[in-house]
Amino acid sequence: MIRDPAFAKIIKTGPGTKVIDLGRKGWGKFGIPSAGPMDILAFRWVNHILRNPENSAVLEVQQPGLVLNFEAPTLIGLAGAQAEIKLNGVQKNSGCLLEIPAESELKIGGFDKGSILYLGIKQGIQSESKLGSKSFFEGITEQIQFSNGDKFMYFTNQEIPTFKARANPVFSTSYQDKTHIRVYPGPEWDLLQKEMQDQLLNHTFLITPFKNRMGAQIDSPFKNEYSSIATAAVFPGTVQLTPSGKLMILLQDAQVTGGYPRILQLEENDLPAFNQLKTGHEFRFELQSFT
Amino acid sequence: MVALIPSIRTISPRLTELFWDVPVSDELLEMKIYILSEISKNFAPSIEDIRSGFKTISIQWKERYGNFGFEEFLANLSLKPTSLDTKTWEIPVCYDLEFGFDLDRLAKLKPITIEEFIHLHSSPTYRIHFIGFLPGFPYLSGLDPKLTTPRKSQPDRAIPSGSVAIGGNQTGIYPQQSPGGWHVIGRTPIRVFNSKASPPVFFEMGDQIKFKPISKEEFEGLKNFNPLQLS
Repeated sequence: MIRDPAFAKIIKTGPGTKVIDLGRKGWGKFGIPSAGPMDILAFRWVNHILRNPENSAVLEVQQPGLVLNFEAPTLIGLAGAQAEIKLNGVQKNSGCLLEIPAESELKIGGFDKGSILYLGIKQGIQSESKLGSKSFFEGITEQIQFSNGDKFMYFTNQEIPTFKARANPVFSTSYQDKTHIRVYPGPEWDLLQKEMQDQLLNHTFLITPFKNRMGAQIDSPFKNEYSSIATAAVFPGTVQLTPSGKLMILLQDAQVTGGYPRILQLEENDLPAFNQLKTGHEFRFELQSFT
Repeated sequence: MVALIPSIRTISPRLTELFWDVPVSDELLEMKIYILSEISKNFAPSIEDIRSGFKTISIQWKERYGNFGFEEFLANLSLKPTSLDTKTWEIPVCYDLEFGFDLDRLAKLKPITIEEFIHLHSSPTYRIHFIGFLPGFPYLSGLDPKLTTPRKSQPDRAIPSGSVAIGGNQTGIYPQQSPGGWHVIGRTPIRVFNSKASPPVFFEMGDQIKFKPISKEEFEGLKNFNPLQLS
């Protein structure tokens, strides 16, 4: 396969645009989280439709208003949030494959549905790999997020500079309609009074603006009468009860250990839906047992 | 010795946790290190990640419901902890008030002199129970009870990289700049975490740490050096 390096330039971006792959596995003992994709369904989809290796690095976009310039031809795939897409001024569907001619401008406008968009590129984004992953992470990769004017490398083919979208697959966003998020009792669930357990399971919560790759802070009507615990492991999807009574739902970039009671653990298959929920959207917990 | 048999908690289809409902001790740490090595020997191909806490070992399996045979394995495991490593790392710390911007306030709070404070902090040999919070952040036991100080009610937005700090009955090193609620008493010039190195952290759970007071001049000369292994 011919691999001529080419660059895409970030003309304009909001905060939180990052290179992400499946993440770093097995580094917990050094305090390093995996930093995988927030929406693994959309992540896998873009690499699948591009026929990329499954761990190819993609762009994770957290904010509308991204403008990119591609200097050389390639093929890109979009999935996750449903967004307004313009390629060289022409409106395109999101959740699809797009042929990118040389010197193309791609604009990602408002998100109609969902809150995280994935942009995959033929053969993956070519950036530095640290500890087995290209996922941006503070203290590990040189870059933490993209800013205006930054570039990233990809492979093009200068000899035969056309990339054909042979099929037109459509990404279904129906999983994002899920507002009942399945949870398991966390290790400290039994510390809570029965009354508070019932309240937690019957309450309708709101997504606040305080949600990023580290975690989602959720307001709650509860008082926390429980002390902290001996510091123990946490994972993406761990729900902590913080001293103020707010819930902290830890996500892909969260620390590997914590000292707040771990009251619930999200079913990981519901994390993509939860992470796609927008500010102001409602959700409830649905307690599962798996015995 | 105390019976140190853990209980098993199944948290989710991919998460299993071992929990010891006993006070934190070197004995418990010995047991965790022994069980960790036995788990690695027997289950490594099935494990995505293992994370330790003071009283817990948490396993993330690669497959859902992939912990087949794990409970039987634990039940049949003969508990023979090995004694803890005596490997000790010397971490130089400059306790100058410019770096240890909370030191003066903390010393007055006790109240002891700054010199006494530094002496009490740099005399013990600390034990690493696990690494967590930030890449390379060691959770240590061994802080002199006189230096115990509740965490700040309002965390600082940016504690500088290399800061040595006290929070509750613990002391630790911030390997990178981070928000944090601990009281900063000094800074080390050495690089605790290096993502280009293999392994990225030079110490591991079970190792020991000793802090060595240094001057500002020495601090400049030791920037980004590796620490010295004393034994």
